[in-house]
Amino acid sequence: MHHNSLTQILAAFFFATIVGFLMQRSRFCNTAALRDAMLFKNYRNTKAMLALMIITTIGFTAFMTVGGGYPIEFEVGINQFVGLFLFGIGMVLAGACTVSTWVKSGEGNVGAMWALLFTFVGMFLFSLFWSATYWPPAPTTMAGVPNLKGLQLGIANAATLQAQTGIPAIVFGLIQASVLGGIFYGIVRRERAAARKREETKASMNIDS
Amino acid sequence: MEIFKKTLDPVVAMVIVGVLDIFLFLVVGAWTVGGGETMITGLVAKLVIGDSLNRIPFWDYVFKPTLYYWKMYISLGMLFGGFLGAVLSKEFYWRVPRHLNEWVMITIGGLLMGIGIRLAFICNVSTFFAITPQINLGGYLAVSGILAGAWVGSLIYKKVLES
Repeated sequence: MHHNSLTQILAAFFFATIVGFLMQRSRFCNTAALRDAMLFKNYRNTKAMLALMIITTIGFTAFMTVGGGYPIEFEVGINQFVGLFLFGIGMVLAGACTVSTWVKSGEGNVGAMWALLFTFVGMFLFSLFWSATYWPPAPTTMAGVPNLKGLQLGIANAATLQAQTGIPAIVFGLIQASVLGGIFYGIVRRERAAARKREETKASMNIDS
Repeated sequence: MEIFKKTLDPVVAMVIVGVLDIFLFLVVGAWTVGGGETMITGLVAKLVIGDSLNRIPFWDYVFKPTLYYWKMYISLGMLFGGFLGAVLSKEFYWRVPRHLNEWVMITIGGLLMGIGIRLAFICNVSTFFAITPQINLGGYLAVSGILAGAWVGSLIYKKVLES
């Protein structure tokens, strides 16, 4: 094992330990961020998700402007839509996502451990399907150029945008961050309006009694 | 200590995670979980079926089982961090789903998550907190997919709860 991978492993483990701790203490869950907003109009986790997205958008694109960091070399393809659609159904049924399955397993949640076990089973089943079809193309064979036969459309991220338009990556980051910030603000306003309405109903009920 | 008694505001927690994630992006790459889980799957499969795993091309070309893959330690770290938080705040106890339909939903949900991650080559974490913040067009496709999926999932979940 060379020095480089040891640094990577230690950085990843240290980062994730803090993440796991903060998730456990805050009960943050990505599944709840989507499910609770859709089913119960509760945005506690949605706001946290948006905050993290705003910070990472600005941070990542800032460093990508100067060619720093390790952006994922990731091809655009319809498989992302279909894959995450299946994932979205799965995470609501399981009541946990890739993060909370690990954190809840650490809390002694046997259901989360069971979800993890079947995530592994699902991955293994898909590895058999992939081996029979070789689709979607593997990251190691991804060349970054459109491969229409494999429904892969090449890489398009803040760095490629910067290379093609000459506009710094951070500009795209700031635009995206302001859109996300707008959604965050919209949620806060909605929550305030709901709280005000509750106060008013409470006040009017007091007068009646 | 206060942090072990009260629930932390998730916005505060995620702001801290965001700053740390930018550091991780500079050292190895943004926070992601699916790749590490795949590697764990491969290592477990290798333990169970041995060298015949090499005959399955996926485990030869895409994910050659190795212990030196940093993303795997993201999973182990989150498990350890969750355990640490639970023990220190005296919240660790065994929780077992009681009803059969819970077990069935978790089983199907787990399978769909595993299949979905490998089909998309990304998980929910890399969707929301890695490729979308990198303005990757694939992130927008993935976000649309997970929103549609979570909506369908919520309808099913509601049906099961009502029955």
